[in-house]
Formats: sequence, C-alpha cells, structure tokens
Amino acid sequence: MKRLTIPLLLFGGLISLQAKNTSHYNLHSNHSQQFALIGDFPIKIVDENGFGIADVQVYVKELNQSFYTDINGDLNLETELAELTLNINFDGYTSLEQKFSTTSPIQIALQPQQTNSLEEVVVIGYGTAKKKDLTGSISDVKGEEIAKRNVTNVSQALQGSMPGLMVTRSSGSPNASATIVVRGITSIGDTSPLVIVDGVPVKSIDDVNANDIEDVTVLKDAASASIYGARAASGVILITTKRAAKGKTNIEYQNAMTWITPTTFPTTVGAKRYMEMMNEFAWNDTGNAKGSEHSIYAQETIDNYNNLNLKDPNSYPLTDWKKILLKNSAFKESHAISLTSGNEKSTTRASISYDNMGEIYANQHYKRLMARVNNTYKVSNKLTADFDMSYVYSKEESPNINPIWEAIRFAPIYAAFWEDGRIGDGKTGSNAYAKLHYGGTDDTWKDIMNGRVALHYEPLKGLKFSAIVAPNVSFNKRKKFVKQIPYYSPEDPNVFMGYMGGFASTNLAEYRTDEVALTKQFLANYQKHFGKHSLNALIGYEDFYTKNELVKATGDYFELMDFPYLDLAPTDYQQASGSAYETSYRSYFGRIMYDYANKYFIQANIRYDGSSRFHPDHRWGAFPSISAGWAISEESFLKDVDFLSYLKVRASWGQLGNERIGYYPYQSSINFSNALFYMGGQVVSGTTAAQVNYAINDITWEVTETKNIGLDAQFFKNRLNVTFDYYKKQTSDMLLELEIPDYIGFENPQQNTGSMYTKGWDFSVSWRDKINNLKYGIALNISDSKSVMGDLGGIVFDSSKAIMAGGQYKEWYGYIAEGIYQTQDEITNSATLNKNVKPGDIRYKDISGPDGVPDGIISPEYDRQLLGGSLPRYLFGGTIDMNYKGWDFAMTVQGVGKQNAYLTPELMKPFQSAWTNPSGIIDGNYWSVYNTPEENLKAKYPRLSNVGAENNNYETSTFWMTKGAYFRLKNITLGYTLPSTLTDKIGVASLRVFASGNDLFSIDNFPKGWDPEVNYNTYISRSFTLGLSLKF
Amino acid sequence: MKKIIIALSIIASFSSCTDLDLNPLSEGSSENWYSNESEINLSLNDLYRQYAWDIEINWRAERMSDNWSQRQTMNDYAAGAITSNWSVAELNWESLYKAVSRANTILENLKKADNTVSAEKKLQFEAEARFMRANAYGRLAFLWGDVPFYTNTLSIEDAFKLGRTDKKVVIKQVYDDLDFAAKNLPKSYAANQLSRATKGAALAFKTRYALYFKDYSLAKEAAKACMELNQYSLYPDFGEYFKSSTRNATETIFAIPRSTELGEELSVKNFIPRTAGGSAVAQPSWDLFFSFYASDGKPIDESPLFDPKKPFENRDPRLKETIVEFGSEFLGYIYDPNPYATTVLNTSTGSMVKNNDTRAVDTYASYNGLSLKKGVDADWSDDYNADTDIIIMRYADILLMYAEAKIELNELDQSVADAINLVRKRAYKDAGAYPIVTVSNQTELRKIVRAERRMEFAWENRRLDDLIRWELADEALTIDNYGFLDPAALKSKIVDKGLWVFPSTPQIDDNGLVDLKPMFNKGQIKKLATRNFNSRQYLWPIPYKEISINPNIKQNPGY
Repeated sequence: MKRLTIPLLLFGGLISLQAKNTSHYNLHSNHSQQFALIGDFPIKIVDENGFGIADVQVYVKELNQSFYTDINGDLNLETELAELTLNINFDGYTSLEQKFSTTSPIQIALQPQQTNSLEEVVVIGYGTAKKKDLTGSISDVKGEEIAKRNVTNVSQALQGSMPGLMVTRSSGSPNASATIVVRGITSIGDTSPLVIVDGVPVKSIDDVNANDIEDVTVLKDAASASIYGARAASGVILITTKRAAKGKTNIEYQNAMTWITPTTFPTTVGAKRYMEMMNEFAWNDTGNAKGSEHSIYAQETIDNYNNLNLKDPNSYPLTDWKKILLKNSAFKESHAISLTSGNEKSTTRASISYDNMGEIYANQHYKRLMARVNNTYKVSNKLTADFDMSYVYSKEESPNINPIWEAIRFAPIYAAFWEDGRIGDGKTGSNAYAKLHYGGTDDTWKDIMNGRVALHYEPLKGLKFSAIVAPNVSFNKRKKFVKQIPYYSPEDPNVFMGYMGGFASTNLAEYRTDEVALTKQFLANYQKHFGKHSLNALIGYEDFYTKNELVKATGDYFELMDFPYLDLAPTDYQQASGSAYETSYRSYFGRIMYDYANKYFIQANIRYDGSSRFHPDHRWGAFPSISAGWAISEESFLKDVDFLSYLKVRASWGQLGNERIGYYPYQSSINFSNALFYMGGQVVSGTTAAQVNYAINDITWEVTETKNIGLDAQFFKNRLNVTFDYYKKQTSDMLLELEIPDYIGFENPQQNTGSMYTKGWDFSVSWRDKINNLKYGIALNISDSKSVMGDLGGIVFDSSKAIMAGGQYKEWYGYIAEGIYQTQDEITNSATLNKNVKPGDIRYKDISGPDGVPDGIISPEYDRQLLGGSLPRYLFGGTIDMNYKGWDFAMTVQGVGKQNAYLTPELMKPFQSAWTNPSGIIDGNYWSVYNTPEENLKAKYPRLSNVGAENNNYETSTFWMTKGAYFRLKNITLGYTLPSTLTDKIGVASLRVFASGNDLFSIDNFPKGWDPEVNYNTYISRSFTLGLSLKF
Repeated sequence: MKKIIIALSIIASFSSCTDLDLNPLSEGSSENWYSNESEINLSLNDLYRQYAWDIEINWRAERMSDNWSQRQTMNDYAAGAITSNWSVAELNWESLYKAVSRANTILENLKKADNTVSAEKKLQFEAEARFMRANAYGRLAFLWGDVPFYTNTLSIEDAFKLGRTDKKVVIKQVYDDLDFAAKNLPKSYAANQLSRATKGAALAFKTRYALYFKDYSLAKEAAKACMELNQYSLYPDFGEYFKSSTRNATETIFAIPRSTELGEELSVKNFIPRTAGGSAVAQPSWDLFFSFYASDGKPIDESPLFDPKKPFENRDPRLKETIVEFGSEFLGYIYDPNPYATTVLNTSTGSMVKNNDTRAVDTYASYNGLSLKKGVDADWSDDYNADTDIIIMRYADILLMYAEAKIELNELDQSVADAINLVRKRAYKDAGAYPIVTVSNQTELRKIVRAERRMEFAWENRRLDDLIRWELADEALTIDNYGFLDPAALKSKIVDKGLWVFPSTPQIDDNGLVDLKPMFNKGQIKKLATRNFNSRQYLWPIPYKEISINPNIKQNPGY
C-alpha cells in the first residue's frame, strides 16, 4: 500500500500551493523535497464495519485546511505539531471534532447517522427543515440522480423518480422537454407546477443545469406548498443549486458522448401494396363496379413496377424516404466543468456546461451553454450575503420542415431525385428531402440571465432577516428564413415545373421577444429551542413583476437567397407587428413550526396574495394550511421495538390557489387586427378592433383544498424506509373555460365555476444496506390519482375528450363501437351516422335521441358518451443502485399501470393524405371486398375508403381504444472509478468512466412500431452514453 | 464592492412595492372603447375581415355544389355525409354570430356616444353596423332556418335562455336593417376614404335575401332601386373582370380586396394544371361544362351547333372563360388532356415538354380533363398565390335577380328580357351577335334565367344557394360525378374509335341538369365519385355543441 504523503506548508509560505493545498493528491514532485520531513501522522478512517472510507473530508483546525482520504480510507499528515484538532465530515455519518496526538497512527471509526434520511435537511418554502420535522408531504431527489440520467433537460430526468409526479414526454428530440404534473390534474388551466430555484420563481425547470443541482424537492400537499399560496395549486418544485463548502478547492470535469436513435419506428407497406391499396380505396368509393378496380394504377404498372423503375426511374420512382430523410442516429456531446473554492470569508462555486447535439435528420443542431456562479460572503458574524448569477445561451438551428412524418409515411412511388441526381418533384412539389436540404432555416437563440442577491442579517442567535432581489432577463431571437425551391422537368433542367409547396418565394420572418422579471423578498425567521420545545417562525413579503414584449417583422419575395436580412426584402413586402403584456403579484406570508420533544409536531402557514390578473375588488386571497405529526416510535411503548427505527404519522389540511388564466381576464380587452379596403382605387389595410372575449369581471382565485394523511416509517436500523400518503383534493370556484353558446359571438370565457374532486395516494419504499464491500439500495415508488368532475354548470369539449359532471378530467368522449358492418342488411336495419355507411365501416350504438330514447339515427349530440379517463393511472418508478469497490451500477425502471390509450387516426388511417403510405400493421387486417366473408369477420380494421374514413370510421369511439399500460427500462448505468493509486500518479483526485443507456426497452400493448409515449409525428429516443468524470 | 452590492440590494428591496393595477398594453380595453369616432370606425372595420364572409372565400360554397369535381373524392355535403359536427357548419355558425354580436355591440355603444360623434356620422355608423348584421342574419336564416335571434348585447345567462326564433322574425329584421342601411349609407366614398358598404350594397343584399326568402316583390323593388342608382355597370370583358389585373371595377357592388403586398392572398396551386406546376386537385365538373348553352342560346342537346367531338366550339363564350379550352395556350403551355398527347408545347420556349395534364402521363392530372380558367392569370402560376378580389356582390347578379324576381311574380315585361340580355350581351362582347332573349312564358324564362345564372356565376359561390332555394339539390346532388376513363381504356374505347372528346351529346333536363348515365352505362366514361345528398341537408345541422349545452335549442329535422 502506497502511503499518501502531504507536505504541510507551515513554513515559508512562498510556495504557490494554496490553490492545491486542499486536494489530497501526492506532491511527490521536485519541490516537495525542499522541505524537511517532520513526522508522519497516518490516519485511517473506517466505517462501522471497519472498512476504509474514501473521500472523507478531514479539516485540520490548526492549519485551517482540509484533506481527504484516499480510496482505502487512508490519509497521512506530515506535521511537526504534537496535537492536531481534526474535524471529520462525511455524508451519512456523524460528524466528529477531536484533538489527536500525532505521535502514533490512529484509526477512526465513523458512526452512521442514527435516523439517516430523516436527519437530512431538505428545502422547504423559504427555508430548510430536517425531514423528520416535516408534517407535510414532500418528495425529494438528489442532484446526482438527475445528472446520472444524462438527458438534456431536467424535466425528462424526473420521469419515474418520485411518487406522485407524472412526467410525460411527447418527443424524442435530444433537446425535447417533458410535461410535469404533480399529483394529478386539479385544474383546467395551467397545470404545470411552480418551479423555484434557490427561492426564486423561474419560468422553466429546463433552464437549470442538471450538474448544478444539489437537490430537487417537490412540495405535494397543501401544508407544504401553501406558503406559495396562489401559485401552488399544481404543486411546487424547489431546486437548490450547489454551493461551495468552506476550505475546499476542487475542479471537476465531466464529459459525456451520447448516441440517440428512435426506440421504434412505424413500418409501412411497400410500393406495390401502396398502389393496390390506393386502387382499392378509390374503387370502394366509386361503388365497386366491375372493371374499374384499377382506376389509379394499372395492374400491369403495379406488377412490373420494379422493372419500370429500372427503365424509367423518372416516371416510375422508387424512393426509400426513411433512408434518405433520417440518419441512423444523432450524436450529442456534453462537457461540464465546475470549480469550487472557499475560505472563511467567502465561498464560490462556478460552473460552465456545454451541450452540442444533432438530430436524426439533417440540418438540425442544438447548442447550449449554461453558466452559474454561486457566491457566499461572510461580511461579519451577523451578516452574510449570497451573490448568484446564472446564464443560459442556446441556439437551435432547424430546417423549415421536420421530416419525421414524411419519413414515416411518404409513399415510395414519388421521386426525391430525378435520374440525373437533381431534386425530383416529390408529389408535385412536396419533396421533403428538398425542403429539408434547400428550404432554408428556422433558427432560435435564447439568452436567459438570472441574478440573485440575498442578504442575511442575524442580529441575535436564532433571528435572521433576509432580503432578496432576483432579476431575470431573457431575450429570444428567432429568424425563419424560407428559401424558394424551384424544381425542373426530369427531361430538361431548363424547363421549370414549379415550386415546392410552401417554398414558392424566399421570405424572412424575424421575431424578438424580451422579458424582464423581478422578484423581491423580505423574510424574517426566528428559531428557538427551550427545553423540549422547539419553535421556528417565519414571516415574509414577496412581490413579482414581469413584462414581455414581442416584435415581429417579415419580408417576402427576396431576390437573393443568401442574405437573411430584412433590408433585402422589397419594401412593398415588408411588414411588422408587435405585442406586449405585464403581470404582477404581491404576497404576505407566515409560518410557525413547533415541536415538543421531537415527538409532537405542528405547523401552520398562511399566505395572503394579490394578483394583477383580477379586478381590485376580487384581487386578494388568503391561503391557510395546518399540519401535525406524531413520532410514535419516540413514545416509550415503542422505544423497545427492535425492528422499528422510526415511525411518524402525519395529517394536513390546506388551501391553495390558482390564478394562471391569461393576463387580463377580468378586462374584456379589444383585440386589434387588419382588414383590407379600397381607397381611391388602391388596396389599403385598415386597423380593426373587436372584443373577442367575454369578460367576467368578478373572476377570482380558484381554490384547491387538500387533505393529506401520511406516514414515514423506518425499520431494521433505518435500512428499510416506507412513506405512504393518501390525499383528497377538492377544487372549487374552478377556473373553467365552460362552453357558452357560440351564438353569443365570444370565445368561451374563463369563469369561476364548478368543482372537481381528486383522490390519490403515493407510496414509496426503499431498502439500503451493505454487504461487505457491496453497498446497494433498492427503491420503488408508485402513485395513483383520479379526478372526478363535480357539478360544473356546463361542459367543456376538447375534440375527442370532454369535461363534464360525473366524468373524469378530459375523459374520452365518443361513440360506442359495435364492430364492423359485414353486410348491407345489417346497415339497412340499424342506425347510422349518414347515408354513406357501407359494409366494412364501423357500426356504432344508437344510445339516445332528442326524446331520450334511441331515434334510429346516430348523431353527435345524442349518441356519444364518456368512454373512460384519458390520463395514466398507477404511475410507477423504481431504482436499483450498487457500489462495489470502484464499481457503481444503477438501474431505473418506470411505467404506467393502466391507461385508456387512443390509437389516433394519424396513426391508423391508411391514407391520411393520398400520398401517405398506409401503416404496415393495417395491411392484411382490414375489411375488404376482396376478402371472403370469413376473413372479413376476423378483420381488425375498417375498409379502405375516403367517404367512410372522413365521416364514420375514425370518429372517436371505443373501436380505437387500447390498453396503454407499459413498463420501461428507463436507465441503466455502469461506472468504474479508477483506484486512486493509479490516478494519483497523474495528479487526478478521482477518475470515473461510465456507460449508460436510456429507454433500452419497453413492454407494452401498442401496435408494432409505436412507442407507448409517442405522438404520431415524432419518435421517442433511445440513447447510449459513454462518459467520464474527473476531479482535481 | 460588497458594500455596494448590499446597498444596491437594500435599495432595490425596499424602494417600492410592485403595482397590481395593470392594464393590457397592446390591446384596447373594452371598458372605455367605442367612445369616439375612430374607435367605432375601427370596430366597424372588423366586420370587413374575411371571417365574417367565410363561405364566400376559397370557393367554399362552390365545393358543395355540382359545379365541382375533385378527383375521386366527394365533398361531405354533396356526399350526404354531414352530421352536427360538420366543421363547415360549425365554423360558419360561429363566424356569422361573431359578426352579429360585434355589430350589436357597436349599435348599443353608439347610443352612448352622443357627445363624441356627430349625428350624421352616427346615422352612417348605425347603417353600416345594421348592414353587416343583416348579412349575417340573412345567411344564418337561409342556411339554418329558425335561429337564435337577438339585437342587443347578450349576457351569458340570457344566451342560455335563447331558443330558436321563427325565421320570419329574423328575415323581417334583415329587411329592416337593410332598408335603414340603404337609406343612410352613402352612394360611394371619396378617394381619401376607405371604401365601405354603400347604399347600393344594401339594396343589393336586400335583393339577394328577398329572393332567397321568396319575397319576390321586395326583391324586385330593391333590385330596381339598385339599378336606378346608376352607380354600377357591367365590366366590358367577362374574362378579364375576374383577374387580379382588374380591381374594384364598376361592376363590383361589394367585395373584399386581397393584396399580396399586404399579406392577404389565396393559395391556388390545387387549381392549376400540372404541366404549369400546379396539382390539379379540383376542377369544374362535367355537369357545369355541359350546362353552358350553345352559341345559338339553346341547351346543347337542342342545338345543332354542338359537336361532342369539338365540345368547346359554338358555345356561350363564357365557357372558354370559365374552363380552359383543350388545345389552347394556358399559363405558358398548351393545355391538352388527350391521352396520346404525351408532350405539349411550352409556348414561351417553343420546346416540347412532358404533358402532365393527361393521366396517361401523370396519374393525378385532372380526372375529367377540365381545368379552371375563370380568374386565373399568369400571376397565379408564379407563386401559386392569387390576390384577386373576393367578389361577393356584382351588378350582373342584380340584373339577373331582378329578372328572376319579375319572372316569379309573373310580371313578364320587356325589362325582364332586357336585364338578361344585358348580361348575355356582355358575355358575347360584340353587341350585335348574341342570342337575344325574348319575353315568352314564365316556365321558359325561368329556365333561361336559371341557366344564365349557372353560366354567369360558375365558381362564384352562388350555385349552392341557387340549388337550395330552387329546391334542386336533391336532384342535382344525387347525380354522380363523372370523368374520363382511365388512360388505357380511354385510348382503346374512345380515342382509337374516333370518339374523343365525347362519344355523344348528353341530354339536359328542364332544370338544366345533365344526364351522363347513358355514356356511363356504355362504359364510355368513368364514375369518379358518388353524390348522395340527403334532403335533411336543405337546412344545415345546428352544431351539436349548441344543443348539448342548451336544451332550448332543438336540432333541425333528420339529423
């Protein structure tokens, strides 16, 4: 075993090792020999089982310096002092400060913290608290768990990470975001949770760098969230960013390389079947007359297509659109570097990360730079200050077409290229390849700057005043430059045939949005322990203002194709427009937390909020909450139960508000537009004005009342952790865009109407232990919620879904399908939607009529009904992690237990447009005149028909419902940290290499080729990552 | 440094509380809108936006009629496939009521604007708002029959109490509004004023609705008054009138202009032949093609001049201005759907190019060989966008409506023939040589005026209205749509046998409807799509949403 030696620079002080002196690498280089060796003081730090612990911080008080143990838990100090005071800190273990004699080697056994996870300090609204003191329902996840997923956006990384959190992806693009919903939907409006970074509200969770996150806390029930009052009804996500610790200077570098491919991709039929099915499609709609079966493509053409293609590819193209439009994979590289440093007076953590990624198609690039500096200054013992800045820059370059849909569906018989290599006409000017490569670009730049200055003044012990100012400035620039794409005759490059659809002229649209926001907070916090009583009180004030302004300018008919600047557009074709809005709120809030003997806990919050969105008379709302907890395990009668380490029951009640409903809902604003008129023979544009919305003057807060009961339990010396919560939420005065009669002439207004009841539960269990050198943990979370609409005073329709009393939130709404009509007789003797229903079409149930009984006609108003909830149920996630010597392994699974999924027409309809290739799964499974009656009885899908499709078969109905449950291997990571014996030699404190995979496989019930999370015109990505992280 | 930071943050923290009294920045506030002349003007302008005239734009009404052919598909309305969630009905219902509501709001606020708007201006504003409301209600009553009716601003509570009002009451209001408008609107606008609704337009729309609602004497009177304004005249060249080079002609009574420069244009690629770079998705139907008279003023089946082998010859000149003649130059190429014409002349280069206008070359060339000519000029094919005027009312319509009203009243005097002849004479350009209409009997004249309307207003969104009001939709829209045989069969069965273009002359019935069935039965033409109008569709379905949320609204029969 090689000893790690550290020369202590007590004399001279001339050597510039200050920056390195806190690191534990070996300074066995030349200059270390200049010093006399004074004396070895070997230290070994071990855990409760006697195994050495690496990376333990040992702060030597006399030297005001920190040192770290190596991988075996060893550390050798060289000192001339006889005694040193060591302060030893390591996560999960009890801290220790003790004086040691340096004359002989010592071994220090650290004791694991008693109630480990409950002793953790977590962030709560406007403060922190130990987990065990909490009486509300929260979940949290460590920053490293998020960073481990290696996804570009934090929102995606939260999928499956905690109970009660529904994270939905809808795209596989490397920089795609995801929607987060906390504990089900309780409001019709904006259901995205409030995101707070270091105490300051931000617009998007994705503007935070995953590597900068210390931890993420989700406040789930009213008791924990109501301190955020009016904006907390959809839950609150608190993010704390990393700060530097005192006495430690570190540089960390991380690199990851990721390859992204679609999880799965739909199949389509080939050229031959496309043409045959197209013929059948047309034949069905013209009455199936004998002799006109091949009305679009002649049979001989179909039969000889490959030969014809070889002879005359211009007239008989054969194009593999998927191959020419999509790449096998997209590549992403990420670099992150961070520096931490600190002394008695100030600490700094600075980080920069850079991501650069492509797409699975050409000309799409996303680059992002994120920087953050978090500083803490100790001005005096009573005054400290934080000074934080973060900056995000991103640039997204996109083509003017997203070719995923074309790649999935474009029929092969259209030409991407003519025989001589020039671009072909696609389908009369819809050549996606040409549009992708020659159609210009749509680029977006974003600059976001957040600042935060906080002053903390502690005049007396336990009393702290804080003043915080946090400005946010963001600027968004978009340039959409569409280039004209002419195409020419296959025979003669000089014969102009036309322009690609949407690319007939060269034009430019410039957008500039700037936004400023300012948050101001003033907080007073008082903490006091007297005897067995402990009190923590907070009062605070906060206000917020934001203003957003947009300018748009366009120019058309550019002569030149290479100058995307507006001055090159002819002045006749230049236009400009703009808009702006602002919003603000003011809040007063307070909290009291009290506990007695760590057994009985009580907490009360109140927030009083005023919002500019409401009329002065209806502007202010108070949102109280109260919660209590009882740590039963601390009672004498349970003290001696061996297997039970800790047990607490909690209960809470509270009210939360929601106000996110547009900016001026109580004022019926006048919207401006333009109309054209003749004036003296010239066409001129006149400004127009109209009241579009019907304003409800007394519109006010929507209130969600939540009741929560829960328990936290730990067993077997804290190794088994269980948390369970059950909640009921009731939303009243719900802000609802109720349908009003269209003949009133206004858009559906937001109103305070109706109520909604949500019930649900969250459960999580984890086991964490150690077998010799193997440390491992298993965690599982599962949650469910269901919302039922109360009396709403109306209905909301949302194409295929409806919100109505007694139904679930956005429940599927449509017809009850009764299979496929096999004969004309069946049709004649049943109710139909229209006169054109034919055998092979879907049959619907006649449920009712104007008189409340079936009327022999299928009609949208009487024969549709609620078909079951559309939201996923029983969301689950699980993780396994293991550490063995230098190896680490982690696996995350995630999924949905039950969901009524809908196979949208975009996926199932054979000819969405005439040129779209039918999906491979339809072929052979649809009802057809060519089939025998027996085959048709087994047909899974309706006949090929435009008339039938447009007006009958693809209406929302039970026919297209399917089971949407799925189980997904979300992430698997394997890492290896090189022994420090090796890395020390190259001056590296730690070097870890890792490989990980995301979304490697899923088990589901969807048709082949479709991912359970996919939207019809995109894909869900699977990624493989190789990376390394270095610490100096 | 730190002290500065501290000082700054303290100042920022305590300097002020944020203001909660915020008002829209880039929008007006309705609380104090309509308070002066210019605000009312801007509000009236809104009713000239295209939404209020949706069915008049992009041939929306024409698509539902028998003038339309679109490959092998059929419009939902003509296919008899519509239900109460038919999007066309939903959109028009919503848009028309928006116009009603906005007009009502202006009218109600005008009463308050006593001090800020002169009495004269007020009268004109009121007239304009009532003109717009009348158009919306006229359209609503015509398409849906009894409809929810109100003339004030409506609260949500009141709206839910509304049921459907008898069509007669609605129509009465339409007439009153238009009478008021005709009385108080100016005849025309000065060169420095926005050209808005005029007296003539009010009279013209009164004519239209009175005729639609069969109040023939009202229609006659209004038409007469409009003619007597001496404000309008027929544009000398029928073909040129519809092109974007002709704007705001004296024939136009009410139109909404478009302008590429001002960002209002219509995408027309679907209507341009494929050799010229279009997609040839939709065309005039054969039904329309055959219904143009021969140049002797007779239906083709009665005229010795018609030759099915040369079907464009000896026809009413409006045919060639409406539908591209085979073998003629169009948008830079010779247009020829003949299956043997695999190449055609590019008239600008003089070279022969592949002829994508025959299905023998391009599967998706026009299925019936026809292609739209009316309104199409060279600027359509440069970028496939057009900015022609959306003509909603023109003088020829007044003349023919006058004639029709008189005929229905059985007042068969010379003025009837004169009105029709005026329109026909312009079609023939040369004043002397055109088939003059003479006063005969009611049946004969009715037939003539209806045929004249079809020729004159093809692809101008009038055919659907006419089919509904003449109660002809259940006949016209149950005739299947036909086109040429597929290329191989077309060659062997038609062209090779010398039967190109058409093997025979179809019969035209008394309603001007064309019977192509005999040719189809002989296997000489192909059925493209089935028209299957359902007679419940004479009245459009009320959007299901209105019924689902308000029990006072009952659906039209049959849905």
